[in-house]
Amino acid sequence: MKRHIWGSTAPVAGILAATLVLAGCGSGGRDDGDGDDGGSGDGEVAGDTTGVTDDSVTIGGHYPLTGVAAPGYSEIPVGAQAYYDFVNDAGGVNGRTIDFIVKDDGYDPSKTTAVTDDLVLRDEIFAMVGGLGTPTHRTVVDDLNAEGVPDLFVSSGSLQWGDDVENRPTTFGWQPDYEIEGKIIGQYIADEMPDAKVGLFLQDDDFGEDGEKGVRQFLDKQIVSVQKYTSGNTEIGPQIAALQADGADLVIGFTTPAYTALTQLNGLGLGYTPQWFYSNVGSDPSLVGGLLANFSEGSVDGAGALDGVLTTEYIPTNAETDSEWTQLWNEVWAANGGDGPLTNFHIYGMSQAYTFVQSLVAAGEDLTREGIIAALEEQGGDFAGPNLAPYRFSADSHLGVSGMRIAEIKGVASTPLTPVLVTDIGDAEITEDTSDQADDGPAEGGIPQ
Amino acid sequence: MLQFTNTALAGLVLGMIFAAFALALVLIWRSTRILNFAQAPMAVLTTYIALVMIEDGRPYWLAFVVALLAGLVLGAVLERVVIRPVEGKPDINAVILTLGLFIVFKSGAEVIFGTKLRTYPPTFGIRGIEIGDTTIGITTSDFFTIGAVIATLVLLVALFRFTDLGLKMRAAANNQEVAGLLGVKVGAMLTLGWALAAVVGSLSGLLIAAGGLVQPSYMDSIVVFGFIAAVIGGLESPAGAVVGGLLLGFSLSFVSGYLSAQLVALVALGILMTVLTLRPGGLFTATQGRRV
Repeated sequence: MKRHIWGSTAPVAGILAATLVLAGCGSGGRDDGDGDDGGSGDGEVAGDTTGVTDDSVTIGGHYPLTGVAAPGYSEIPVGAQAYYDFVNDAGGVNGRTIDFIVKDDGYDPSKTTAVTDDLVLRDEIFAMVGGLGTPTHRTVVDDLNAEGVPDLFVSSGSLQWGDDVENRPTTFGWQPDYEIEGKIIGQYIADEMPDAKVGLFLQDDDFGEDGEKGVRQFLDKQIVSVQKYTSGNTEIGPQIAALQADGADLVIGFTTPAYTALTQLNGLGLGYTPQWFYSNVGSDPSLVGGLLANFSEGSVDGAGALDGVLTTEYIPTNAETDSEWTQLWNEVWAANGGDGPLTNFHIYGMSQAYTFVQSLVAAGEDLTREGIIAALEEQGGDFAGPNLAPYRFSADSHLGVSGMRIAEIKGVASTPLTPVLVTDIGDAEITEDTSDQADDGPAEGGIPQ
Repeated sequence: MLQFTNTALAGLVLGMIFAAFALALVLIWRSTRILNFAQAPMAVLTTYIALVMIEDGRPYWLAFVVALLAGLVLGAVLERVVIRPVEGKPDINAVILTLGLFIVFKSGAEVIFGTKLRTYPPTFGIRGIEIGDTTIGITTSDFFTIGAVIATLVLLVALFRFTDLGLKMRAAANNQEVAGLLGVKVGAMLTLGWALAAVVGSLSGLLIAAGGLVQPSYMDSIVVFGFIAAVIGGLESPAGAVVGGLLLGFSLSFVSGYLSAQLVALVALGILMTVLTLRPGGLFTATQGRRV
């Protein structure tokens, strides 16, 4: 009997939820119209001000605080929170403090939907900022757009967060997308290692797919093997054995940190030692080295575990102590951080938070959802932040940072092998960056004005 | 050829790990007629006990033994305190209860030990064996895993087939009333069954963890396959559990290596359906007509 009762309430709940969603859309749509007709600067705020009060703005994000994607990634919101605290201590932006609500989705797409509903409907956030993960965020991106919720700086390099402005007008990417990362990696290998037999080890979703698309532009003929893994299944021995059997002597991994560690372990077990080249998101040497450190017995020693491995970079890391950005992050971490040392994942969160504060400043005193999106499209391309290359934000593209450089890992630091290279999706050419993005420092006091 | 060998070896080790988990399920089924869904999180708890000891600098093998003993105690206490009240009631009650325990233990492990991913040191080496110039994809740790599972299998078969104790345990499980009338201490036998099963479960937890990454849900991907292995084998037979585990391990390994890792879950389901269609009681069942 109970089943029947459940069976009958579920549709009712569904209809209720749908009604709420529709109600949200309706009001958002009307506000939209007002905003467009009236323009701005009439004194009265025209537009959607959900989550905004005179002295606060509430934002939220979904992150894997538990589960197989949690190592490293769970530190991102901690870093972001530290920077928001830093800004709030200085009085916030335009007199508003930033309240950041973090929800755990365990990198499980079905949970992402639930926690996002919580954030949007119950917590009534102004914007989603930094929601993490390709498979996770794709389940909520269309709902967020339908409701007019700004969906800023998704923590993932999937193309979906910016290549289709018409259908996803409120979503903005942040980090370089995996396609341009694949292109830059691909061109480097084609130029520097034209004889390498390339194997690809890919996460089986957009992350791997977009990366492969970019890499293939340059390495189509050099690729000898493509293997994939599903996040959650840690048994990857057979795939690594297949890469070895296909004769790959250079393996490009579009992997999360835990799987980077697993590829290293399985390589040891098989006596397989290709040149490894990991995408930025899976290559943090301190984290992966830490995971590998326990397998001591002389086989692997923590810090140097990834020595000689190639990767990409697009923001300064914690090892670059000369960088003014790293100095700022250390200051923020000392004042507002949690336990332990400052990691590159904290820095990622802080850098992203910095961009959000820049957006708030750009949107002006009368903060609305429409206003912040317009501000990003108009001014986002010129934001001077920790990013080594400029953002591509415009009315036509919401894709994030436009480039990165190739680096070789040594200990917990890295040596750049190329200047910052910029490009765009598709067959856009790869060129050396001529903006001074890589050389600028933070704003006075560490807070954008 | 090397790829074939390495894929087969990976399948062998994976199969043994499934088998270890399936053995624990078979043991508890044979001695109490209950399917224990809480097996995995119980093993997670005991494995974490060992991990914490190792991280505190205690000897590796002491931690290993303590984890097994913790399993013994946990199994016995659970049977006495939680399972006993539902014994003799409809079978489904105990099954639902173990599902509840699954959630409680998993959350408990998260609360006590945190959700951070950690590494569990391997039992022995993590480098492949070198033969001449080629490295074969099997490590000394893998040999230990295989040996431990075979030893467990032999001990279980011997227990049930050749000892009075084993006979009493089977009697107690199959017909409590008659067994009691014949002088078997039914309660003690059921407790013993749970305790031993939990020891085997703990062993499987340790074997899976060793040389890998550990978090409170690290057994989740093994649970489903371990269950499938046990059911393929017929749930009755320790040898069936091992054969079921190996069948699954080899198949999944070859699918991952030669076809596509995305097909793994589908192939596992396919094997389960095929086996159950051809032999509804599983490969190694002796008694027909018993349903799970």
